[in-house]
Amino acid sequence: MNVGPDTLANLAERPPRLGEKAPALGRRSLVIGALLLVVGLVLGLAGDQGMEHFLHAWLVGATFVLSIALGGLFFVILQHLTAAGWSVILRRQAEMMASMLPWAAVLFAPLVLPTLIGQADLYPWADQDWAAADPIVAKKTGYLNGVFFSIRMALYFVVWIELTRWFVKHSNEQDQDGSAARTVAMRKYAAPGMLVFALTATFFAFDALMSLDPHWFSTIFGVYFFAGCAIAVFSTLILGSLALERGPLQGIVTVEHYHDLGKWLFGMVFFWGYIAFSQYVLIWYADIPEETVWYAHRSHHGWQYVSAILLFGHLLIPFGGLLSRHVKRNRAALGFWAAYMLLQHLIDIFWLVNPNVGGHGAGGAMAFGLIDVAVWAGLIVLSFGVFVLRARSQALLPARDPRLAESLSFQNN
Amino acid sequence: MSETRTFGIVAEYGDVDSVMAAARRVRDAGYRRWDVHTPFPIHGMDDAMGVRPTILPWIVLGAGLAGLGLSILLQWWTNAVDYPYIISGKPFFSLPANIPVAFESTILFAGVTAFLLVFALNGLPRFYHPLFRLERFKKVTDDRFFVAIEARDGKFDPEATRKLLAATNPASIELCEEPLAPVVLPNWVKVVGLVSITLAVIPLVLAYRARNARSDSPRLHLVGDMDFQPKLKPQAASGLFADGRAMRPQVEGTVARGELRENEHLWLGKIGGEWADAFPIPVDEVLMERGRERYDIFCSVCHGYGGDGDGIVAIRARETQQGAFVPPTSLHEDRVKKQPFGQIYGTIMNGIRTMPGYAAQIPVEDRWAIVLYMRALQRQRDASIEDVPLEKREKIK
Repeated sequence: MNVGPDTLANLAERPPRLGEKAPALGRRSLVIGALLLVVGLVLGLAGDQGMEHFLHAWLVGATFVLSIALGGLFFVILQHLTAAGWSVILRRQAEMMASMLPWAAVLFAPLVLPTLIGQADLYPWADQDWAAADPIVAKKTGYLNGVFFSIRMALYFVVWIELTRWFVKHSNEQDQDGSAARTVAMRKYAAPGMLVFALTATFFAFDALMSLDPHWFSTIFGVYFFAGCAIAVFSTLILGSLALERGPLQGIVTVEHYHDLGKWLFGMVFFWGYIAFSQYVLIWYADIPEETVWYAHRSHHGWQYVSAILLFGHLLIPFGGLLSRHVKRNRAALGFWAAYMLLQHLIDIFWLVNPNVGGHGAGGAMAFGLIDVAVWAGLIVLSFGVFVLRARSQALLPARDPRLAESLSFQNN
Repeated sequence: MSETRTFGIVAEYGDVDSVMAAARRVRDAGYRRWDVHTPFPIHGMDDAMGVRPTILPWIVLGAGLAGLGLSILLQWWTNAVDYPYIISGKPFFSLPANIPVAFESTILFAGVTAFLLVFALNGLPRFYHPLFRLERFKKVTDDRFFVAIEARDGKFDPEATRKLLAATNPASIELCEEPLAPVVLPNWVKVVGLVSITLAVIPLVLAYRARNARSDSPRLHLVGDMDFQPKLKPQAASGLFADGRAMRPQVEGTVARGELRENEHLWLGKIGGEWADAFPIPVDEVLMERGRERYDIFCSVCHGYGGDGDGIVAIRARETQQGAFVPPTSLHEDRVKKQPFGQIYGTIMNGIRTMPGYAAQIPVEDRWAIVLYMRALQRQRDASIEDVPLEKREKIK
């Protein structure tokens, strides 16, 4: 679009916000999400495996929500780090996603607290007797124990929440004073911020997901989790922009922004595949039992089909689908692939977590049912409601960012 | 100055907006052979000029796929066909191991193709362009913007085209001429080229000379670490070991790779390619007893305990009238009796007709044991009491 001083002044005076219908939508989402969770809880209490399956389903849903929020934090830091101009109009959406991190902490509390008091439905090592009897896990109890685990989890969330708070605070205050010094300050702290983010996200993945099967280890696992976060945030940004473009962001988000988001999504799809394969090929090649066991569980009892869905559905098919420039510049097509990749991302987390239901990776029987769908949908819809209700308080773009004009008139060629 | 003809009309602009506007008008007027020259890339210019999508991505995609296919083909041929070698128990041709190479070759082919094609499709390298004859055009790398419509364009008309450009408010309009005669390379370029090529040959000549000349002075060692590696060579001495030998003798009880089956007689039952008529291992009572046991387990079900081809399988097949069943050979047939030891060994190992090979079930020495026992079975049919050693005759009377 053509950006004159009028446009900028207009945006600065009356920055776009969510419409009047948003609170109703948010409240409805809260109710529906809560109802779905009740359904999931009833199914969990009624089922044979009881709360164990329920907790794993909860972990999948909570990790999915967290991955979008963490992806948002990554996006914000990255844009500041690289002094990116094109993405300024999208940054506030990512900031709002990152601002869901306290909510994600609430979602993780019901998983961490039972582990702290030695309840081992989710993490087998929480049972100290079991851990001491297992010759491999016994050597890891210094790291894998309820107290230290809870301290680490608390630390990750505190670090993430504080990082987000700092960036969001400056971004929001810039909406008022338009100070370019804030942009400079945020760029300066983006570099250490990214380092802290990388370390905490890696160790979070080790603790929350990898330790479900405490025998198994993979040093690239944190990067794998991060790749999922990146896919989640770019998919969500595409869908969010498409939704907001029908209302307050009309005429602001252009096909050029979608093109760049599409490039990112395409790149991250392949990055995910690259990392997933890097993990697989080393384990496949070395063929050491303590490493292959993780893939062995995921090659039997029906999990082989989920693995195949990920290979084709999470990598090869979207790779071909997103390759073309025309797809990235077509709102409907890109929107489809964004929603599709979010679903694949959910399946990916399911594939990481659920083989541990019933025997912590030792049994590996297929564990999928209505309870999973109810809990995932419940957590996602509930979180969406929280997101919408909180988003009302902020403008939908950094209205006085010095690079706003550059972003508004951004062109790919 | 030689004779010239019109190359095209060039309009000059002072800022981005006016050159963009001019480009749109030229595009809408339907010109095809024209271009915009600017000091820096202008976002949106593709659109303003109506540049059609390039074919480059399709060729790059094709090259990438070719790299993918060729690298897989290469790995399949080298690993599974030409030089099959078991590596950590994996199949000769296993896709996961091939993916890193396939991935990199895809990128290599696509990248190099894109790089070369960008030059080729743009007609580069190009040493000369008529526009550089214009004095004003030199500012195109500084702060001026130009639109040039070529005379080759079908719609080009000296008057109308000039009028079109004049309507876009250019800072100046100029006619660009080009020489009629083809532009030839200046002589100094040829000289420089020739000299460069000559100089480039010198290292090759020196290397050739060095490789073929004899010299009394010791050779130069440019890379010491490569010339003097901390390793022991075959047949060299070493103070590291008590016996002073660098090469270590084979550890007792081990077999070197590739040397496991060197004994053709033992493993294949052949000597110099012919069936062997001798035993590769000592023959004794223990071997005979082992042979009887193994024969009774593996062979008797078809050939029968006595070797007459009346094993339990054969009897059942006969009684249930299995038409397609080929009866087992009687081991007392003349044909079989005349076979050398090695051939019987080979039959046990590889199978014959409908009899499967037993190499997987019966280890090498047991096969020889069975050969021995089978020979004994054959011999006892025609044996007389004279064949029995004196001291044992009493026992069997």
